[in-house]
Amino acid sequence: MTTTTRTPEEQARREAQAKSDHRRKVGRTILGRGGAYAVLIGFAAAMLFPFLFMVAAALKTPEDTFRYPPKILPRTAATAEVAGAEVDLYSVDVPDSGTATVYLAEPSVEAGLFVSLDDPEVTISWPLEFATDTGSTTTVDGETVPIYSVQQGFETVDLALTRNTSVGRFVGLDDETIETYAVVRTAERAESIDPQWQNFSDIIELRDFDRSLTNTILVTILVVGGTLFTSIMGGYAFARIRFKGRNALFVTYIGSIMIPFVVLIIPLFRLMVALGWVNTLGSLVWPFVFNAYGTFLMRQFFVSIPKDLEEAAYIDGAKRWKILWSIFVPLSWPAIATLATFMFLYAWNSFIWPLVSINGANSDDFVLTIALQTLGGQAGEGPNLIFAAIVLSVIIPFTVFILAQRYFVENVATSGIK
Amino acid sequence: MTAASAKPMSTSSGEPRWFRPLLVWRVFAAVLLTFALIAVALQRGIVLDGPVRWSLLVALLGAVVGAGIAIRGTLQKVHLGRFAGFTIDLLLMVVLGFIALNRMGMFTGVDAVGEAFNGNAAWLAIVILGWFVSGFADKAGGNQKILKQVAQWTMITGMVVLTVAMGLIPGLIEFATRIVEGDVILFAAGAVIAGVFARILWSDTAARLFKTTQTEGENMDGMLFVAPNVLGFLAFFAGPLIVSLFISFTEWDGLTDANFVGFQNYIDLFTDALFLKALRNIVIFGVVAIPLAVIPALLLAALLNSKLPGMRFFRAVYFLPSIAGVVGVTLIWKQLFNSTVGYLNYMILRVTEWFNSLIGTGWEAPQPQWISDDSIALIAVIILFVWQQIGFNTVLFLAGMQSIDGTLYEAADIDGAGPWRKLRNITVPMLRPTTVFVVATSTILALQLFNEPFILQAPSPPSGPGNATLTPVVYLYQNAFQEFQIGYASAVAWALFILIFGITLLYFRRSGDEGVLTS
Repeated sequence: MTTTTRTPEEQARREAQAKSDHRRKVGRTILGRGGAYAVLIGFAAAMLFPFLFMVAAALKTPEDTFRYPPKILPRTAATAEVAGAEVDLYSVDVPDSGTATVYLAEPSVEAGLFVSLDDPEVTISWPLEFATDTGSTTTVDGETVPIYSVQQGFETVDLALTRNTSVGRFVGLDDETIETYAVVRTAERAESIDPQWQNFSDIIELRDFDRSLTNTILVTILVVGGTLFTSIMGGYAFARIRFKGRNALFVTYIGSIMIPFVVLIIPLFRLMVALGWVNTLGSLVWPFVFNAYGTFLMRQFFVSIPKDLEEAAYIDGAKRWKILWSIFVPLSWPAIATLATFMFLYAWNSFIWPLVSINGANSDDFVLTIALQTLGGQAGEGPNLIFAAIVLSVIIPFTVFILAQRYFVENVATSGIK
Repeated sequence: MTAASAKPMSTSSGEPRWFRPLLVWRVFAAVLLTFALIAVALQRGIVLDGPVRWSLLVALLGAVVGAGIAIRGTLQKVHLGRFAGFTIDLLLMVVLGFIALNRMGMFTGVDAVGEAFNGNAAWLAIVILGWFVSGFADKAGGNQKILKQVAQWTMITGMVVLTVAMGLIPGLIEFATRIVEGDVILFAAGAVIAGVFARILWSDTAARLFKTTQTEGENMDGMLFVAPNVLGFLAFFAGPLIVSLFISFTEWDGLTDANFVGFQNYIDLFTDALFLKALRNIVIFGVVAIPLAVIPALLLAALLNSKLPGMRFFRAVYFLPSIAGVVGVTLIWKQLFNSTVGYLNYMILRVTEWFNSLIGTGWEAPQPQWISDDSIALIAVIILFVWQQIGFNTVLFLAGMQSIDGTLYEAADIDGAGPWRKLRNITVPMLRPTTVFVVATSTILALQLFNEPFILQAPSPPSGPGNATLTPVVYLYQNAFQEFQIGYASAVAWALFILIFGITLLYFRRSGDEGVLTS
């Protein structure tokens, strides 16, 4: 017969085992959490980077958007005021003191192009006043050239003079004692971070972008409002009123959600032609205020409202119209807000239909998507202005999203799981 | 009926005093509709050609028959008379009113409002601010009355200023004066009269007169409430859908008469190299892009579903690409894809250099021409699509995961299952309906790919280098709006629709979950 007697050693071993198990578990959790956060942050960075890039590019100068290697922050060539005049700033290597911010004090100083005696690839342009002829000569590329003793900072080296040239004299901006020489054309400009805020006003003035923004706001308000009205009415009828053909009609509605919009583009465009609505904002509004998805969404919500609430009002002689707007609608804010966000995104971002129905050259009836597409397709505008326009076009959706995030997420959730 | 009648509501015989005018109107409406029927039957024109003319004829024929029934029912004072009369009056009001308003420029008037509105949006912002604050005051409760009043007055002032600044009142007056132009007044008058009689027939007095039962009354209620939706649905959805099917059987340039060609357009599709190329592109696109947009989303959702802090922030960040709008997002990526100064190639270069320095290899960094190289252009579209879609799918999966019964995980915990096993054995199987939905919506979106190639390739044609980004919808667009092969383009649209329908059906059939279909 075996009994489970624990020897002290065994006890200790078990405790140690448990401790190390626990430690391993904690370690694994921390590792797991760290890993989870690493993945999440990695994806978040991938999602955010293009938007960061958008904002930065919107604040750049046109040349800055074509810089290679690319840099995120908007930079411009720096200038400063020296002795009452505006001068360009450069960033140059100064012997003995590293890189310094300097300005061009004298644009043309007589200089020579000197070549190292050891390596003909190493050249330097340096003023002749710091060079003295040593009298000896050497051969560079088959030519006999004089050797000069050139003083550079505290160093003096022997170099071969190949030809005459001119350099600029640069003086330190903060420290006047810094003085150096370099070929002006190839000297590196000093840069400062300098957001170009006027890009926004430029794009508004150049392209009537404010009109596109206004039009989009108007179309969105009308589409959202109209859809809410028809969906609330229809949803209530499907949820609460028993009428002939209700179920058949409802099934037709649900089925129609599956039909892709592209099937409708051609006949709808012909209808717009027949009604005289082509190239008007009306073509973006009226066909889209009748929405099967919205009716379905409202119906689902109304069905879940308990019947006793309306019955009391019904007995009091209230009409359906009044019951709908005074009892159902106030109770249905979550569903209404969800539908509103859905329609908002749809109206704000729709592209293919405006592309078809607003095809004129008149920018007065442009909406943002068309204005952006027109701008993006033109080589003339600098990318910075295009990015300024994109920023303007996403400000409102992003603001609404931040304010009503719950409903956006709910909208997605309800469309998926019901 | 005499002027001396004592009871204002009814004559001595028990009829309300509107009964005789109603009868006159019933007869007048019937005559009017008959004339319209004859006029449409005899007239020929481009606008009234084809299915539009036939459906108009059928509708008018139905209306004339209905008008006859309404006269008979009104004379007999039975509910059928009320119902038929009400339906006709409602439709007449909508149709005549629509024509009148369209002639007056009501529907195209949004442009004028846009022009007036431009520059005055600040006032609208004040109105909205007032609305928000007053709503906030409501929520806060207690002694917020003053705040609420201030907010409401701000709102009202903003509205008044906005109305004046926009010139809304002179605009409306000008708009109203258009009613006397030409025949608009006739349509408007017809609409108003029909509306008045519809209102009368709607009343309780009419219900009593025509002996309407409660069920019959409910029928009318239902009809009235779904009317705005159903009429719009017919005009802008069902009608165009049928017309679209008809056009797909014709050869039509949109200007001259259409030739009926039967199934020829569909037969041509099978041998059209460009259409087949478009199908090939979209299949490659779907096979690559959909798994890339779905599988990482599932893993991200599983991570987000933990109770760790900061998850709401990540969810919001992942959702941003879905908010921003495809045009802006595509233009941003177009710059990132730039082969000489774009960030993507720059990052490839830096990563390759880093690798080379790390393990001492001498690889040369590939610097593809993302947009103009015909072997890569589609990959660029895939990258963009996946980037846009992942976050949306993540939020869908997350919603699905949050609706899974928590006790399942508790039971698994007791059994000692790790996070990976829980994901495999509980989350994934329980998420099946969501997964089917995510895959199906991603597929439907992918099959309709248009915006991304169109914007990425602009100002070049959206079909891309060597038709590398030619998709069915791009092909449809080019045929319909650039080549004016409208019949053929419609056939492309229906072929695509059949494809989408078939795939959707397949997904839901395989998932075996009936509940999904209802959404």
